[in-house]
Amino acid sequence: MSHLVLVEVSGMNRIHNSKHLLHAPALLVLGVITAGAASGEVSFNRDIRPIMADTCFRCHGPDKNARMMGLRLDIREEATRRTATGVIPIVPGKPEESAIIQRIFAKDPARRMPPVYAHKELTETQKETIRRWVAEGAKYEGHWAYQPVRRPEAPAVTQALAPIRNPIDAFIQSRLAREGLRPSPEADRRTLLRRVTLDLTGLLPTPEEGSAFLKDQSPDAYEKVVDRLLASPQYAEKQAMHWLDAVRYADTAGFHSDLPYPIWPYRDYVLRAFAENKPFDQFTREQLAGDLLPNATIEQKVASAYNRLNRMSPEGGLQPKEYLAKYGADRVRTTSTVWLGSTLGCAECHDHKFDPFLSKDFYSMKAFFADILETGRAPDIGPGAWGSKLDLPTPEQQRQREQWSWQLAQARRDLDAEAQVLAADTNWEAEVLRRYEAGELDWRYQRPVSAESAHGARLTIYNDEPVESNYYIGGTLVSERAPGRGLVVVSGPNPDNETYTVSFRPGEGAWTALGVEAVHDESLPSHRLARGSDRLVLTEVEAQVSEGASGPVRKLSFVLATPSMRIEPPELHPMAVIDGDPRTGWGVASNGDPGNLFLALRFAQKLHTTADSVVTVRLRHDSQFRRATLGRFRLALSAGEYSWPEPENLRARLKKETGDPPPSNHGGVPARVLTALRTPEDKRTEEQKRTLLDYYEWLTPDLEHRLAQIGKLEAKLGQLESQIPRVVVTEATRPRVTRILPRANWMDDTHEIVEPAIPVFLGKLETGGRRATRLDLANWLVSPRNPLTARVFVNRLWREFFGAGISKTLDDLGSQGEWPVHPELLDWLASEFMQPAWQAQGAHPWDVKHIIRTIVTSHTYRQSSLPRPEVEERDPDNRLLARQSRFRVDAEIVHDIALEVSGLLVEKFGGPSVRPYQPDGYLAALNFPKRDYSASRGEDLYRRGVYIFWQRTFLHPSLLAFDAPTREECTVNRVASNTPLQALDLLNDPIYVEAARALAQNMIQNGGRTTETRIQWAFERALTRPPRAEEQRILADLYTKNLRRFQAAPMEAKKLIATGETPAPQRIEPAELAAMTTVARAILNLHETITRN
Amino acid sequence: MDRRDLFTDIRRRTFLSRGVAGLGLLALNSLLDPRLFAAASDLQSKGAVNPLHHPAKAKRVIFLYQAGGPSHLETFDYKPKLAEMNGKPMPESLTKGQQIAQLQGKPLICFGPQHKFQKFGKSQQEICSLFPHIGSVADDICIVRSMWTEQINHDPAHTIMNTGSILPGRPSMGSWIFYGLGSEAEDLPGFVVLTSAGRGGQMQPIAARQWSAGLLPGKFQGVKLNSVGDPVLYIENPAGVSAEVQRDSIEAVNKLNRLEYDSVKDPEILTRVAQYEMAFRMQTSVPSLVDMSQEPKQILEMYGAHPGDGSFASNCLLARRLAERGVRFIQLYHRDWDHHDAVKQNVALKAEEVDRPTAALIQDLKQRGMLDDTLVVWGGEFGRTPMSQGGDGRDHHIKGFSFLLAGGGIQGGLTYGSTDDLGYAAQENPVSVHDFHATMLYLLGIDHERLTIKFQGMDARLTGVSGRVVKEILA
Repeated sequence: MSHLVLVEVSGMNRIHNSKHLLHAPALLVLGVITAGAASGEVSFNRDIRPIMADTCFRCHGPDKNARMMGLRLDIREEATRRTATGVIPIVPGKPEESAIIQRIFAKDPARRMPPVYAHKELTETQKETIRRWVAEGAKYEGHWAYQPVRRPEAPAVTQALAPIRNPIDAFIQSRLAREGLRPSPEADRRTLLRRVTLDLTGLLPTPEEGSAFLKDQSPDAYEKVVDRLLASPQYAEKQAMHWLDAVRYADTAGFHSDLPYPIWPYRDYVLRAFAENKPFDQFTREQLAGDLLPNATIEQKVASAYNRLNRMSPEGGLQPKEYLAKYGADRVRTTSTVWLGSTLGCAECHDHKFDPFLSKDFYSMKAFFADILETGRAPDIGPGAWGSKLDLPTPEQQRQREQWSWQLAQARRDLDAEAQVLAADTNWEAEVLRRYEAGELDWRYQRPVSAESAHGARLTIYNDEPVESNYYIGGTLVSERAPGRGLVVVSGPNPDNETYTVSFRPGEGAWTALGVEAVHDESLPSHRLARGSDRLVLTEVEAQVSEGASGPVRKLSFVLATPSMRIEPPELHPMAVIDGDPRTGWGVASNGDPGNLFLALRFAQKLHTTADSVVTVRLRHDSQFRRATLGRFRLALSAGEYSWPEPENLRARLKKETGDPPPSNHGGVPARVLTALRTPEDKRTEEQKRTLLDYYEWLTPDLEHRLAQIGKLEAKLGQLESQIPRVVVTEATRPRVTRILPRANWMDDTHEIVEPAIPVFLGKLETGGRRATRLDLANWLVSPRNPLTARVFVNRLWREFFGAGISKTLDDLGSQGEWPVHPELLDWLASEFMQPAWQAQGAHPWDVKHIIRTIVTSHTYRQSSLPRPEVEERDPDNRLLARQSRFRVDAEIVHDIALEVSGLLVEKFGGPSVRPYQPDGYLAALNFPKRDYSASRGEDLYRRGVYIFWQRTFLHPSLLAFDAPTREECTVNRVASNTPLQALDLLNDPIYVEAARALAQNMIQNGGRTTETRIQWAFERALTRPPRAEEQRILADLYTKNLRRFQAAPMEAKKLIATGETPAPQRIEPAELAAMTTVARAILNLHETITRN
Repeated sequence: MDRRDLFTDIRRRTFLSRGVAGLGLLALNSLLDPRLFAAASDLQSKGAVNPLHHPAKAKRVIFLYQAGGPSHLETFDYKPKLAEMNGKPMPESLTKGQQIAQLQGKPLICFGPQHKFQKFGKSQQEICSLFPHIGSVADDICIVRSMWTEQINHDPAHTIMNTGSILPGRPSMGSWIFYGLGSEAEDLPGFVVLTSAGRGGQMQPIAARQWSAGLLPGKFQGVKLNSVGDPVLYIENPAGVSAEVQRDSIEAVNKLNRLEYDSVKDPEILTRVAQYEMAFRMQTSVPSLVDMSQEPKQILEMYGAHPGDGSFASNCLLARRLAERGVRFIQLYHRDWDHHDAVKQNVALKAEEVDRPTAALIQDLKQRGMLDDTLVVWGGEFGRTPMSQGGDGRDHHIKGFSFLLAGGGIQGGLTYGSTDDLGYAAQENPVSVHDFHATMLYLLGIDHERLTIKFQGMDARLTGVSGRVVKEILA
């Protein structure tokens, strides 16, 4: 039983350990260690400050507004001075005369400190510790983290119980010796290889790497592995993950509509920086102030996107000033957490309660960022979206862009020149008005006689039949049931790509253009137009005519495509639907809900039809976007020369049907053109003149070829533009005024204006009177004058390799943070980071790889992680590191392991973010625009987790289940929870089922001929070890049982192995593959598979 | 397993297995803790707050969250004076220096209530006549007319209403409560979220942040039940995997994990085993939970629910089923209350969607004897301006709006607090978001000042640094 208790206690603390300090139970256990450490003289920093910070400083600390009775206990001069009420809080050496001792030991609850209402009780031990400290002279110490980093000598360990491979081991083992604990022996080679590979790359070692390491008997075999891993691109991917959490890198803006913004080149900058082992000081400067560096390179400007990673809101009706305050505060919180490990954010409303940060410090820090060009309301549409951006074309792209832009400008000039000559004869104006008023330009909606799909979607024609519609007029949703008038409604199966073929009989006539009306409806998930995806993309429209249903078929070609509304983005150009290229298309993306859209396609030759003619139109949706397919549409023809594309006027029709006066206007001419036409020539504005010239160019047959040429160039250029990477960057402008906002009230303009400055207690920037800049801030952050950055960074690194920081409050090294378990070690590491001195050949200052290499080559790192009773008893949280830690890998790595083991993983460094499978409807609560999700195609489905598209308000459910942060806010300490949702995800998420099937396939094809060898083959890959006999038996049983089941239900087997997009192999019998898939799935679901130990 | 469960477990096993002399420090502490003797009483809880700080009135919460910001002026706060002033400028004394959203720089014109009000029940509570069903339970509900908040845009206003903070990363109220009290549900999450979309046009987005566990372990996050696709993500077996195949697979995983535990003694492995067992139970219980085909016809009619339609009505019925199964916090989001345009028509449309089911839920809970210990809350992230927007709409408004509360220790038939004559600002007995949270926690047996987590050196609370229990509305 004692065994059980012991282990469960450690379990409790494991969970505890993975989180911020939770409640009491864990503290009881922690008390065991502290008591052991507290012999000898009481130390203010180690013993007293944590108690006082928790129980006294709130009312008797740095915040002058919260201070009670004028009593301050965090500064010795104050605490030993007689107060206004005539008592002396602390009389050094004389506890009995000290007021605080009298009060904390008071029997009367009304007198006792802390007061009842504070809900803070001191334990007897704590009280006794305070009394002893006063008795010993009440010696104060400055808070450890704010003292300069000094390089401590590694302690001499006289009787080493384990190898001392570097000073880390000396520090750790001397402390263990003090505590009477022995370090653990080195882990076995398989475990060690798996651990270091996971920690350095986030991937598992291959069996080949495993056997190579097992065979290598050279004394530096392990170091060689470390060097190989550190040199791999996967090392950078793993390091980037943590950095991206800290700086809250994500692919969407975070507030409100949460639309994507261009940012991934910054992620690639981070990847390259780690791959190249960029010195951390340079890394810091480039991100905070890359734009301010002299002759800033493109790379440095990209790095400056750091300052733009905050959430941004495009919501209408927000108060710009409020949001500028939010953005600024967000930057202060992030920067102070990432570099200073400080909760400066607390000082937004008041002076810090526990640390010496003033509210003024918060706003002075914010002032550094006041020069960033931005608006409170972040535009989310069009070329100006998201403010300052940088294009990153390749030289070839740049050359094409220049060439085509030049050609386009030339073509437009030529068109205008010719049009101006022709349009001088203004008779056309009267003719257009005449036709318009005669109704000749109206579009004629067609009544389909048949409508079919190529891939299974159901098409229903509503001519006179009533159909239910829910559509918007302005901001109001209208529901009606009315005859469809040629409406085609798509329902049923929803394939990723689809082609609709619709025929109608137009009757006798001569036609100039075909119209395609995209009809919006509330039932449609994307822009209320498409059946899925985040956009609508019609890739090609083809048409033909025949006499009767069986007559000879004549293909119809188009020369121009004109939409009722020209909508960004540029790659969805209307001409793309008649360019013969199935990948390009016209549609709408990321641009609110446009209502109905209409596309006019001008015939190359006028179409003459007879009473028997059948026109057949094919609407193709072949883009890479899934289900970017029309949900409802109509087809129309125009007899006029020419009719401007125009969707049905829903408001006018509604009025007609509600008995209001019917609309008097005809269609076919844009309203702005009508207005201009009806304006006397001499009264027209320049804009109106331009409008008329444009319109004239559009309707003049002689100019058609020029217009078409321009359209093609625009489409080509649009495609090119969409391929050029873009990134938001920092652009400096004249700094805005920064004021102290009392209690963060952004409307209060009455308080002091502040200049950029570092927190006063940490010093002052010498700028010779010049306004300090972000570059000054960055330089200070990585200067020896700042005691925090190096400590904060190595402390964060430590967590990656041991599961907890040396101080586990990674985001707070202030007085409320955890006193570091190994303060000297932390300082040694910080100093080694800034100035490598230990085996430092080839290392440079601020060398991240050097510090990581030092950590992972220590014995402390290489120890076994197996629990030992005496260690669990003394140190259940494993803070002293008498053994290595065991922890679940991070969310992205859970994903990567499954892909790697299965063989599906596609390794490609950098590039645009990718979208793995995601359940339909997961984004249904988003709006502006309403949208769905479109998973990537092909290899992008199988990329590493670090590349997954980070949607802040609805993070990918698998990442979320495994505790990845939403990156709405800076996160430096991911939690590791253990929930049923994780089990459901690993068991049932299609990517994991597909991975299991791919693994099963490989087991069968490469794992030998028996179930045993196949299981062994998979074990070597997933767990870096062979299975034990009992494990073999359990999995073989599972296989046999399920094989029988699948043989009895072959259709089920086929369904299971059809999960996912990689095709199932033909050569393996489905029941066998399905049964093996269940075995592979069990292996991928093992706790050990996703655990680093 | 929850840490707290573990703790209780250890205590129990230790106590059973050894004499007092053999007790470790841990168990000794627990034994000496007088609070432990309360364990058998009604103060016992399954969460971090154990024992409860005081006896609880409510065991669970159903929060009918009307997202977008319902107009108090067309629901629960009748303002005849505003009708009189219709078309006249809003007095500058009220609006000067106040936050304005989309009406920035526009004339501020009084816009009278667009619908009539009537008095309902013995208590004669004044409610808009669009809500006769809610009116029919007037004596069970408390109308709070004096709510106020500080965030005037949807996203931050949702964030503070749900987490008590405008910064992302804090636990939502459901997570706090689940953490504090644990859950009675054996095979369902303790915090469940349901969403429905209205049929109007003004559908503001909502974010998963609103039910996030924030700083708390992920197990405390709200789990969204979907009306389309899998009711819980990945709850369905993969295609081709039968219940037997799934059961045997999970069993194999658990056997292997136990073997691993035997060899390395890492307790986290046992937690993993427990979670796989729970996942398997959820796979059975969730489909039967959402299958409402067994509900009697008159119950479906009472709610106006058509199972599977994902409507607010169906969600209200589902909420009752969740409550019966012991789920601690059930939150229904009904979107589409952002009536910048046509507030008259749109509130009428919303009333059609929410009036009957809201009342039905209260009645249904009552007839099952569950209303006494279920707190029902109805409200959104803010209210709407007494000034018109575009002639027929109302803008966002934070200075005064209304909430409904019922059951779980709330005094029925009470109207509490008021706004000024024009419905602009909470005047009498203002209730802040933190006050509301404090009151809710109080009803659940929790002192809001004592439900804390250490975060960045502070004792983080749902109620930030303020919050008053509104004792006046308690039964």
